[in-house]
Formats: sequence, structure tokens, C-alpha cells
Amino acid sequence: MTTTEAPTEFIEATLDLPVRYIDRSRNYYLTLGYDNPYRWAHNTEVPFTPMTRPVREARIAIVTTAAPYNPAAGDQGPWASYNADAKFTRVYSTPIDPAPDLRISHVGYDRKHTSAEDVNAYLPLQRAKEAASEGRIGQLNERLYAVPTLRSQRLTTERDAPEILQLCREDRIDGAILVAT
Amino acid sequence: MLGCARDIVESAGVPRFVFSDFPLGNSAGKPFDLTSQQGILALALDLLDSARAPRTTVQTPYRWSEDAAWKRDFYKLDMTPEQLAKAREEMDGQKAVLAAKLAGD
Repeated sequence: MTTTEAPTEFIEATLDLPVRYIDRSRNYYLTLGYDNPYRWAHNTEVPFTPMTRPVREARIAIVTTAAPYNPAAGDQGPWASYNADAKFTRVYSTPIDPAPDLRISHVGYDRKHTSAEDVNAYLPLQRAKEAASEGRIGQLNERLYAVPTLRSQRLTTERDAPEILQLCREDRIDGAILVAT
Repeated sequence: MLGCARDIVESAGVPRFVFSDFPLGNSAGKPFDLTSQQGILALALDLLDSARAPRTTVQTPYRWSEDAAWKRDFYKLDMTPEQLAKAREEMDGQKAVLAAKLAGD
């Protein structure tokens, strides 16, 4: 009888598939000794609202999970390690001119391959301003919105999402682009 | 929505999803790469105009690198017991920081 060793490499690297983060994070937390790995959100029903006017005539807002740079909260620069001190806990909005200094050290991005030194890789604000000046976007909303990342689906769905919706209605936006990190 | 974690976003379910097969943290494009940054935003705007049903996913054509080696590293498990203990300690610390922040709200 021959035995075959189980491959030690992730199959997504071998076959160039999208990384299965749900599987990986479950295994990671179990290996670390947590017996209750994070349960990712799963909805069977997903809402859909068609645009009421083309993007060329629409008011579009950007929604981010990035945090305002906070000099008191430790390293938030390129290659910063995961920094929960830099997390924000409530929805906020901020003007897009001048461009706000927003960072992502407080979220679990790929620390080996992502430097986070180019804001345009995680916040397409400058690219969106260009699209607006070229006429591809009717109007870019004068402020962007930010939603906190608190590992709580209850806070996200029951508290934060309604607040984001309220901001969208105040500004009468037609469409929003949420940029996950 | 722009994102790099296809399974997580599609599990939650969103109306329209522009997926880039990049390391987490680059949902809007590759760093210092105008082509992918402009292209991803253009796909998002096109999708707003064209989508007709929820859970519409578009995968962007850009590649992070020639090969897929970067996919080997995230949440890698081949740690020594010492590395494992350190990772657990750091995670506990970060969780405590977040809990304190939420309690202080």
C-alpha cells in the first residue's frame, strides 16, 4: 500500500483560484485555540435597487472602512502591523476636499503582500474625482462615509448600516460604492 | 462594492460586486498602478449602470503578479508552537483593545 502525503500548500496557490478566506480564517482561529471561530455573514436574500438615472447624471458617494489618521493611536503607516487602537467605533462622514488622510492599519489585510502605502489602492477617491471631472460620474458626493469594522454583525446591520443609509438620504445620492478592506 | 475576498462578500451577498483577485487591502487597485485603479473604478461605474439583479459579480482582469505565490501566505498554519503562542497572545491583545473601545463608547 502506498500512502500519499496530504499537500501542505494551499490549493488556491497551486491552481490560482480565489483565496478561500472563510476556510482559512476558521482553520487559523481553531489552530490558535479559539473554539468559536468567527461566523461570517450569510444572507439568503440580497436586496437590489436599480439605478434611477445613469451614472453620468447621478450623485455617487464613496463608502469606506478606512480610519482617520490618529497620531495618538500608534503605527498606522506603510507595513504597520494590525492595530486595533486605530479602530473607530461609529459611522462618520468627512469632506472629500481636501482629501482626508485615511488609513487601514486597523483591519486585517494581507500584511505580507500589502504595504498600504498608496491610499488609491484602498480608497478610490482621487480616481473618482477624475471620473467626475471627465463626466463619467454626474456628481461625486462632497463627503464620503465610513463604516466601522467591529467584528459584530449586530452593530453593522442594526446600528451602522441604518446610519449610512440616513447619510445617503440626507445627501440625496443615487448610488454608493462601498470599498471593503 | 469593491473587494478582494470573493467568498466572504458572496457569502454575505451584495447587490453588485467588483472582485479583484489581489491580496486583501487592494480593493481599489494595485498600489501606484493607474491602469488597474482606473480600470476597477470604471468597472464599478459600468456595473452600477448595467446590473439587473442582485449578486452580480464582475471579476477584474488585473493580476497581482505573474504567479499566484502570494496566495500561499495568508493565515498560513505551519507555525512552531512558539509562533502559535505568540499569534494567540497578539490576537487576545487586539481583541481586548477592541472590547475596551466598545465598552468606552
